[in-house]
Amino acid sequence: MKQFLLLGVMFLVWSAPNTATAQQKEKQLGDYFGDLRARHIGPALMSGRINDLELHPTDPRILYAGTAGGGVWKSNDGGATFNPIFEEHCQSIGAVAMDPNNPDKVIYVGTGETWTRNSVSVGDGLYRSTDGGINWDKLGFDHSERIANIIVNPQNSDEIYVGVLGALWSDNTERGVYKSADGGATWNQILYDGPATGCADLAMDPEDPNILYASMWEFRRTAWSFNSGGAKSSLYKSTDGGKNWKKIHNGFPEGKLGRLGIAVAPSDANVLYTVIEAEDQDKKGLYRSDDKGESWTQSNNDFGITVRPFYFSRIVVDPKNPNVVVKAGLFGSISRDGGKTFKELGTMHSDIHDIAFHINNSDYLYSGTDGGVYRSWNGGTTFEIVENLPLSQFYHISVDDAEPYNVYGGLQDNGSWFGPNAAVGGVKAAQWTSVGQGDGFRVLKHPTKRIVYSEMQGAENVWRYDLDKGLIKTIQPLPKKGQPKLRFNWNAPIAVSQNQPDRLYIGSQFLHKSEDQGESWETISPDLTTNDKSKQKQEDSGGLSMDNSGAENHTTIFTIAESSLDEKIIWVGTDDGNVQVTQNGGQSWTNTIANVPNLPANTWVYHIEASVHDKGTAYAVFEGHTRGDLTPYVYRTTNFGASWTSIVTDEIKDFVRNLQEDFVNPDLLFLGTEQGLYITNNGGKSWSHFTKSLPPVAIHYIVLQKQTNDLVMGTHGRGIIIIDDISPLRNIGEEQLASKLHFFEPTGLVMRDKSYGFPESFGTETQFVGENPTRIAQFKYLLPKRHTFGKMTMEVQDLEGNKVATLNPKKLKGINTVSWNYSMRQPKVAKGKTLAFGGFTSPRVAAGDYKVVIKKGRDTFEKVFRLENDYSTNTDPAYFKAKYELTMQLYNMTQELAYMVYQLDALMEQVKSKRIKGKLQTLKESLVITTGDNYVGAAEPQLREKMASLYSKVAESYSKPSPNEIEYFEVINDRFLAAKTNFEKLEKKSKVDLSTLKSYDTFINE
Amino acid sequence: MKQLLVLFISLSALSLQGIQAQSVDEILENYFENTGGRAQWEALQGVKYNAKVNQMGMEIPIDIVELKSGKQMTVINFQGQTIKQGVFDGTVVWSINMMTQKAEKSDQETTDNVIREMGSFPDPFLNYKSLGYTAELMGTEEMDGSECFKIKLTKKPLIVDGDEVENATYYYFDTEDFVPLVVQSEIKSGEMKGQMSESKMSDYQEVGGLYFPFSLTQGLKGQEGQVISFEEIILNPEIADSEFAFPEDSTN
Repeated sequence: MKQFLLLGVMFLVWSAPNTATAQQKEKQLGDYFGDLRARHIGPALMSGRINDLELHPTDPRILYAGTAGGGVWKSNDGGATFNPIFEEHCQSIGAVAMDPNNPDKVIYVGTGETWTRNSVSVGDGLYRSTDGGINWDKLGFDHSERIANIIVNPQNSDEIYVGVLGALWSDNTERGVYKSADGGATWNQILYDGPATGCADLAMDPEDPNILYASMWEFRRTAWSFNSGGAKSSLYKSTDGGKNWKKIHNGFPEGKLGRLGIAVAPSDANVLYTVIEAEDQDKKGLYRSDDKGESWTQSNNDFGITVRPFYFSRIVVDPKNPNVVVKAGLFGSISRDGGKTFKELGTMHSDIHDIAFHINNSDYLYSGTDGGVYRSWNGGTTFEIVENLPLSQFYHISVDDAEPYNVYGGLQDNGSWFGPNAAVGGVKAAQWTSVGQGDGFRVLKHPTKRIVYSEMQGAENVWRYDLDKGLIKTIQPLPKKGQPKLRFNWNAPIAVSQNQPDRLYIGSQFLHKSEDQGESWETISPDLTTNDKSKQKQEDSGGLSMDNSGAENHTTIFTIAESSLDEKIIWVGTDDGNVQVTQNGGQSWTNTIANVPNLPANTWVYHIEASVHDKGTAYAVFEGHTRGDLTPYVYRTTNFGASWTSIVTDEIKDFVRNLQEDFVNPDLLFLGTEQGLYITNNGGKSWSHFTKSLPPVAIHYIVLQKQTNDLVMGTHGRGIIIIDDISPLRNIGEEQLASKLHFFEPTGLVMRDKSYGFPESFGTETQFVGENPTRIAQFKYLLPKRHTFGKMTMEVQDLEGNKVATLNPKKLKGINTVSWNYSMRQPKVAKGKTLAFGGFTSPRVAAGDYKVVIKKGRDTFEKVFRLENDYSTNTDPAYFKAKYELTMQLYNMTQELAYMVYQLDALMEQVKSKRIKGKLQTLKESLVITTGDNYVGAAEPQLREKMASLYSKVAESYSKPSPNEIEYFEVINDRFLAAKTNFEKLEKKSKVDLSTLKSYDTFINE
Repeated sequence: MKQLLVLFISLSALSLQGIQAQSVDEILENYFENTGGRAQWEALQGVKYNAKVNQMGMEIPIDIVELKSGKQMTVINFQGQTIKQGVFDGTVVWSINMMTQKAEKSDQETTDNVIREMGSFPDPFLNYKSLGYTAELMGTEEMDGSECFKIKLTKKPLIVDGDEVENATYYYFDTEDFVPLVVQSEIKSGEMKGQMSESKMSDYQEVGGLYFPFSLTQGLKGQEGQVISFEEIILNPEIADSEFAFPEDSTN
């Protein structure tokens, strides 16, 4: 110990100069998150959008999925299961590539999804791992937003080509084709054609790495339109490693081109395929070249080949056969005659973005869709889904107050769902219930009835689903006489009232209110948008290929918030930048947007949060990324919008979509951003990025569940992610941080009896399983510093200081949470030949007052708490008493038997009389099993096994002991007492001195 | 006194040059000096850990033995029975089958991998160069509120399903006192392959002049782990060879 103390002094001296820095740093809430961490509940049954599939070139077990919003996943078992390997970086992925010279170790990831739909996320550059995906380094391209391809020269690992698609919503110069000749240390832009044209596809000749093909695409999205195509969209070829490029359009259609995909047949470098988006509808489609791109011939223009080029321009050629070619698409198409004719791929989730052929057997295919990864074992005829990719992309979520509570939400191209946050064995696919079709968005439960509201894109259908009666009805508002066409956003806002359970709001350009669950609607506002006609020409959207899906509907209401404190106060935000408020239930409206400082005009109002603490207080979150503005904008008003103040600091690195206010501490706020969660506990003066088991995924919506204080996040790429019980964050201030150890209030002190049933045993081996919460007792405390040296112990004691249970203390800086299932140690069980499994049951303690005691060095910290029975299951306190008493009788009896057998064994070793020894042996054989094994060789149970079984049966029941159990107890008890008497007689007769044996207490507690 | 002097010099150097100026070997030297000195570690012939696993009311006593020769075993005590798991006698790895209560040898690949780990007692960093291992400082990272040096230790390759694979482990040494707080490594085989395992150490205390963590939490990275608490650590225990030997008839 001397050495340790001296060390301590040394460190004190050494660290003195840094004290100021250390103190400054300690004020960050993020330093004290401790073991607060997120759990993921998926779901994976709908999975999510896949951008890129890559197979290891020589090991068929290894493949990678680069996902639209859920990071990079690696399979080590041929696609049976996947693990995430990119958890600390941007989750929107454009391309994954291996160095063909070192594919086990060197992996490149280009971020930013390249299938440029309206809801696409934004990337932040290129990364590389040199150890198979464990550690990652950034290689630049910070402003590239979308990387389409990465190709490493198979003859020279230092030569790397990167195709950068670039920004979708704005001009930028960081796009085109780049090359590094020094392993990624420096990069040269080797093909660039202006700030609006990016590289959509890049391919290398399989025989000559100096031959490259690059598809350049002119494109632009705004919040209200999309344009694909222009004079600069072209297909280029270089034969000198990218120094010079020429257009290879011989045989191409005239006029402007759009998005082109390019593929070279791996088995024949002469054969190329490109899919062309062109002005002339008849000239669109697949083109083939048999002379390395020098001339082209159109081979097919079926729907499956020409559909939505911005979403599906990918061609994959069988590595063994140049005439087998697959085209991504709504259903995906495969040709076996060199691209002349196609048939659809087998049934799987629609919207196929990438296909990969198995390296050894082209009958085996992997497919990346809007609904995850699929596998085919018969050349693409039938497909099965990968079940453990929880990539679901939620637009919106809500929760109810059930036990366990359910989470509701709508998914990109995957309908609307709800599922429990907890289930026996974890949350699996079977626990989720479908409550809507199409793209899903807002899904809300009626506050008091088993009714769910859901919708599909553009409020084309808004459903009211009575779950008890099984009745479904569409209830979307229809135009009234004299009303113009209703303009609903793709993601149209619906809100239920906290004041009137049957009330429902829906926003078009008007606010619609229903007091009867959507049966009838009243329009309670004028057009609250800018009604800018120039942003309402969706039928012209798409560019060369018309694309009027409704995704570009604009000048609409996007967020609605009725104050929970006053039903007359309603806030409305619009996608074209208006923040409207009424204080009289819609009779008059005030547009407060002019009062928001330092905000570009017409910035999308993504969310308004009406404060639960004060009527005049609200938060407005603005989101400008659809104008190329990635700035975070969050404002607070305390006077109904007469003035707004920014609560953004430099700590927030990404644009924001959502804010959730704490119910208790008005200064505790949660922000959902494009790359993760930020938390403040000082009203926004400073923010901390929360990263514990929470990757930097786009968080679209956050809710706080009232009964559990769980923070529930709807992510756009990783499903539902929950931080259980954030209540400690309400109470971290100077006072708590100054304590050596600060106890928060414990939770879970009602000893629940309710079970959620039995888990299924088999059939879900490869499924994703959502992690369950801990709902037993939790002791939470704050440590100002990690405990590293010296002993730290934790016990539950009765108020007299007697030990009840030993716990494992956590020792992290910040919040620590230690769980306890209300049990004391299992009984000491007599030694036998085999195990008495009933003896592994730990009995639950009685309700009452206890204290949790932590000893840390010389200091002792205590927190008194009261455990209560669960009267929702049993209402009679006598039931609990009866169960506890019989349990403990059996517990003590089990231990007494253990000691008796211990003494008996000692006696048998020392006794001289063979007759007594024989009697002892007979007695022992009646007390414990002395032969057989733990499986089918098991011997007939004896007193120990029967006693342990009854003990376990009584202890694990939720109810008082049954008459049958009590009767059987008497049988066991009689037999035990008889054995005891018999043993005592034999002990006397044996005349062996047992005083050298361990005492009962020593034996029991060793 | 010699030990303190070394420590003082190293700390002074640290404050002048900053954390990044540390080399792997300087960090490791500090680690060994702070935990008892390289000579004492090298003299160690074996350790017996008397531990307890405590999980929700279930207390299971466990004894773990590791010897310099590479011999090792874990003994679980259930209801008066001692059940040996992961025993290595220098040639064979074996465990008691819980169903039949008889000893069974592990698959040859597991045994081969244990043999490849021989020589790394008591600490793989102690003579890592002579063992053919490499250690690389990857930078500093915050771990559980402590600034740590992240060191990658690469040992002899493992054999997994017939192929040799890199055997890398990532150690996080506290930048203040140079003891490892967290150890992570990728799981190389089995159904968990590809996931990261994580061990956390705390409650460092002195035993016979050496410092050991008395609390070890093991699990998957980012998830709740299983705590093993060491109640007693015995240095240079006397363990008969027969304890490690594969029992031809193990019925007990």
